[in-house]
Amino acid sequence: MNYDCLIIGGGLAALTCGIKCAGSGLRTGIISGGMSALHFSSGSIDLYGYEDDRTIVYQPFEKIEKIISQNPLHPYARCGMAIIQEAMRFFKNEASCGGLELYHNEESNHFHVSTLGTIKPTYFSQRSVFNEDIKEAFRQRPKIALLSFAGFRDFFPKLAAANLQKSSLFRHLEIITGEVILPMYSKTARNPHEFRSIDIARIFDSERYITNIAEQIKKASQGAVFAGMPAFIGITNYNKIYRRLRELTGIFVYEIPTLPPSILGMRIDDALKRRFAELGGEFIAGDRIVGGEIIDGSLDHVHTENHGTTRLRARSYVLATGSFFSGGLTSGFNILRESVFNLKLFCQQERNTWYSPRFLSTGGHPFLAFGVETDDNLHPFTQDGKTVENLFCAGAVLGHYRPIVEGCGGGVAVSTGYAAAKKIIDACRTSSQ
Amino acid sequence: MKSIETKAIVIGGGATGCGTLRDLTLRGIEAALVEQNDISSGTTGRNHGLLHSGARYAVKDLESARECIAENKILKKIARHCIEDTGGLFVTLPDDDPEYHNRLIEHCKYAGIECEELKLEEAFRIEPHLNPYILSALRVPDGTIDPFRLCSANILDSMERGGKVFTHTRVDAIIAEGGTAKGVRCIDEVSSEPFEIRGEIIINASGVWGQRVLSTAGINLTMLPSKGSMVIIDYRINNVVVNRCRVPSDGDIIVPGDTVSIIGTTSRTIDYSDIEKLTVDDDEIDVLISDGEKLIPNVAKARVLRAYCGVRPLVAVSGNVDGREISRGIVLIDHESRDGIKGLITIAGGKLMTYRLMAQWTTDLAVKKLGLSKKCSTFHTPLPGSEQKVKKPQIRQFTGMPNSIIGSTLYRHGNRVSSILSRQNRNFSLVCECEMVTVGEVEYALKKLNVKNIIDLRRRTRIGMGPCQGELCSYRAAGLFNELGAASPIEASQLLIDFLEERWKGIKPILWGDALREMEFTYWIYQGLFGLGDIAERSEDE
Repeated sequence: MNYDCLIIGGGLAALTCGIKCAGSGLRTGIISGGMSALHFSSGSIDLYGYEDDRTIVYQPFEKIEKIISQNPLHPYARCGMAIIQEAMRFFKNEASCGGLELYHNEESNHFHVSTLGTIKPTYFSQRSVFNEDIKEAFRQRPKIALLSFAGFRDFFPKLAAANLQKSSLFRHLEIITGEVILPMYSKTARNPHEFRSIDIARIFDSERYITNIAEQIKKASQGAVFAGMPAFIGITNYNKIYRRLRELTGIFVYEIPTLPPSILGMRIDDALKRRFAELGGEFIAGDRIVGGEIIDGSLDHVHTENHGTTRLRARSYVLATGSFFSGGLTSGFNILRESVFNLKLFCQQERNTWYSPRFLSTGGHPFLAFGVETDDNLHPFTQDGKTVENLFCAGAVLGHYRPIVEGCGGGVAVSTGYAAAKKIIDACRTSSQ
Repeated sequence: MKSIETKAIVIGGGATGCGTLRDLTLRGIEAALVEQNDISSGTTGRNHGLLHSGARYAVKDLESARECIAENKILKKIARHCIEDTGGLFVTLPDDDPEYHNRLIEHCKYAGIECEELKLEEAFRIEPHLNPYILSALRVPDGTIDPFRLCSANILDSMERGGKVFTHTRVDAIIAEGGTAKGVRCIDEVSSEPFEIRGEIIINASGVWGQRVLSTAGINLTMLPSKGSMVIIDYRINNVVVNRCRVPSDGDIIVPGDTVSIIGTTSRTIDYSDIEKLTVDDDEIDVLISDGEKLIPNVAKARVLRAYCGVRPLVAVSGNVDGREISRGIVLIDHESRDGIKGLITIAGGKLMTYRLMAQWTTDLAVKKLGLSKKCSTFHTPLPGSEQKVKKPQIRQFTGMPNSIIGSTLYRHGNRVSSILSRQNRNFSLVCECEMVTVGEVEYALKKLNVKNIIDLRRRTRIGMGPCQGELCSYRAAGLFNELGAASPIEASQLLIDFLEERWKGIKPILWGDALREMEFTYWIYQGLFGLGDIAERSEDE
């Protein structure tokens, strides 16, 4: 099989890159081992959220400007400001084409509320989390209800309410908590495993129970303007169900991302995959690239777990396999390596320097910043220090940034995925001229 | 200051303390127990959980071996739900002295331990993953014992007989007036409130911490702490206990337990001042894993779940010690004859296996000092949950619930399963999916088993002990603490922080491979998704 561009990995960076390439007419393939980190994400895209001292960043682009000038190794610096801004516009537009509208607070960050009632700065959110109407309604110091489903163990409204009340934004608001009963509850509760957020969301992919739940939400909210609930408003039919709920209740049903799987994250995954397919991209799920041959500084071919010796060839390749969690990086007793090509890593060798003494330490853990070392064009280096000309790296497999501590995981994935695509498209155009 | 009156006071909630409290209450003596942390949180909960047959001691220490096999037989009767009668093997590797095998057979005979020589093919049938190059194999009646469950059952029985238990309560000082111990001054570590308990007899069963406790009464007893480290392998890679047939040394035993296997143990003398800040060293992990591999090669491929260590409380019985040194292991001291302080007893040394025997001797002495004459019955009175084998009709009431849930609950709580699961209340939805811990089990533990935080809850139920190390269940547990009225929402958030930090201690030393992947995921959820670090920071500021 031959491609113009073959992307290894199927997460946020890979899909962004794939959509851009496919949209530009390249024969594009994505090989994905399974569910990506999107399935465990907040479903909002963070651009830059926190200063090093944990104070909140309100103007992410201004902060990124500073990062670019101070830390030339940061993935944002490899992209450059113009590409990052272009990538954000592109991403919003493509998600919309895939059926998911994203909203942002002009150039500023907005907040979303977490399961524990902390507030997190982010750039893009879905309409049940942020939009102009929500922003306006919040200005009026509204009453807020936090509701869960009876018997649901992945969201405890009382914990969220108590912590929310500690934040300066919510301190003076009236926050109540309550419960609604799932129409399917008697059936669902029978199986102890089948009561995750995804099981609830599946019920609300259709309109069948919508009037029932709307009435209950309205009643349990006791006149509140917002009803914060664990994300449940379906995956594929989200827009319609959300609109109906708004009509029926007259209040803002606000979605909170809960323990995995993340409904909000799955919607992004769903929209991007749909868009990629629409543009003619080829998505190969359930297979894994296990290696390839680099000849004269150029990746010649790769082979997969399922296809044995069959060679997959492309003019350009993108490595977007994620960090340790997704399997892009692996570690052993005292060894760290990039999983597919054994590329050169930014890391520390001694195992006892990989972590911080406390789990929740504010600076995170050193290992979270480990990743592939690249040049300015996102080309990685082999162990002998040579770059691979037709291989680009994007997303969490990259080193030199701390996605959670900086609050920039989504932004880096989208920006580097987009930047890699631009370079690949340029390369294809030059070579075909 | 609040003052509580009782007859006997036990200091220390390890196996010995819990066993002594039970023995006292079984003999109808009013008693209270004070523990600085949680029951079974010290040395008791920090070993590999081997139900010794005595074979490991047979060659070197015949008396300990005899005590072990006697207690082994008793525990199999009275604590059946805390025990798995797996049996155990002693295997000789090519590097080992083949002569030890014969000596072991001979000494087991002296000690009264059944020891059967196996054909190699029989050994591989029992334990297919054994090192294929073993030279010989012996079978002994080893098994596994869950120290948390054992202590919890002893405490539960004591409380049902009127015993009082104060966990997370530190003994500040022994109150000694005119050469007589009259009680203890304590501090409730949760509320920081001081109070005192007064009684006629005080039993110090605080193990290695006894040196500090006794010093408050002006008594000098030197403890020689020795650190032992272990690693836990995810999933149970062996069916039976596998021992290396040589003089006991580092990394020569793999004990299966519940859903995991544990490689033990190292032995390092440490300074007394270090007992509160123990860490597992990298080189210990190296030894345990490389030697564990020699017994069962699959260890190399398995994921390491966590590492932990405990302190063996060896007592220096030297100089003009007037205490009765009953065996080489167990030390029972009457401080009236040793130090001139009436009403004070110390029980120390020994091992988890002999906790019941130690409790018996201690209580015998206490009873004598109180001028009573009540006989011990712990050797035949089953612990709560172990009264009898659970019969089919009892299980039938759970029809409709998944077998895995009934089985796990039964495994952990024996007969008490009936007070835990309930079809009517639908309380069998899962909190911890690795270890099949249900809402009902959490509720039962919170109400009946002295649980003050999620770390305690883990010891009662195995919540957070599985492969994910509390990734999903710790939030659920924190929510349930609030829902069941055991913590305010803000307190529940703090319990969650404390639990994850406690888990982290045992993961740090083995942070590579899948453990590192899992922790990246956990950090992602609790910091990235939930912002728990912000709450931790806020509570530090306050």
